[in-house]
Amino acid sequence: MPGYAYILVSLALFFIGTAGVLLRRNALFVLMSLELQLAAGSLALLAFSRGLGDEKGHVVAFFVMALAAAEAAVGLAIVVSVYRTRKKIDLDGVNELRN
Amino acid sequence: MSVMASAPSLLAQIAFWVLAAGTLGFALLTITRKSAVAALMALVGSFCAVAGLYATLSAHFLAVLQVLVYAGAIMVLFIFAVMIMSRDETQPVALRGLFLRAAGVLAAGYLFYRVAWIVALEREAEVLSRSTVYPIPGFGTVASVGRLLFHDFLFPFEAVSILLLVAVVGGVLLARPFRPGGGAS
Repeated sequence: MPGYAYILVSLALFFIGTAGVLLRRNALFVLMSLELQLAAGSLALLAFSRGLGDEKGHVVAFFVMALAAAEAAVGLAIVVSVYRTRKKIDLDGVNELRN
Repeated sequence: MSVMASAPSLLAQIAFWVLAAGTLGFALLTITRKSAVAALMALVGSFCAVAGLYATLSAHFLAVLQVLVYAGAIMVLFIFAVMIMSRDETQPVALRGLFLRAAGVLAAGYLFYRVAWIVALEREAEVLSRSTVYPIPGFGTVASVGRLLFHDFLFPFEAVSILLLVAVVGGVLLARPFRPGGGAS
């Protein structure tokens, strides 16, 4: 398949992730949508990498993957600690930094 | 053998369309489910389909890593979080501030429409039109990506290990039960 088909799929996936981040209230779903956005970015990187015949995009996608793992670990820890203090994980109520 | 050669084979086309439909369909399921477990399972499906797309881009190493890291490790993390906080949403989409959020989604949709328009306009450009069916020998294998990682990108690679260490320590620190008085114990 030509490269632009992959770029269009990546765009659509990124948009679905953006809609999830903007519309959902539950912090878990927001984190899942963030993972979708990161996967869309990796897909675009790999498509351009294939189009240019250069493997550096693979290395960057590898770093994106490591970053996603770190983000999931820290994000879920924050969600767990918010849940522990507030007993719910809706994001629209989380607007204070005091404990 | 030219890289710009003829139309992709039927099998490659079918594989691409099935995987693309799987990716987008499971992603839509993920952001619309009420139950967190159902959304997670849809997310696993989406990631596996994305890994298939990586494989059709002859990024075999990254495809395996995608399944291992995303569909494996990150999913386990999410499942643990869901088990700690297992309650379904009664109202998945907030009504308060919905107008502003919907406007944001519309703006984002318009932006992506314009970018897709540009991509469609530039589809004859060499980087976007090159067919992916004819493999470049040794492209995207563990050996070649690993050589690149450990020669040209050795310092960023080690920096990523420090980043992961910081993330693990931060995660443990944040998820620890809060004790008034600040005792570490």
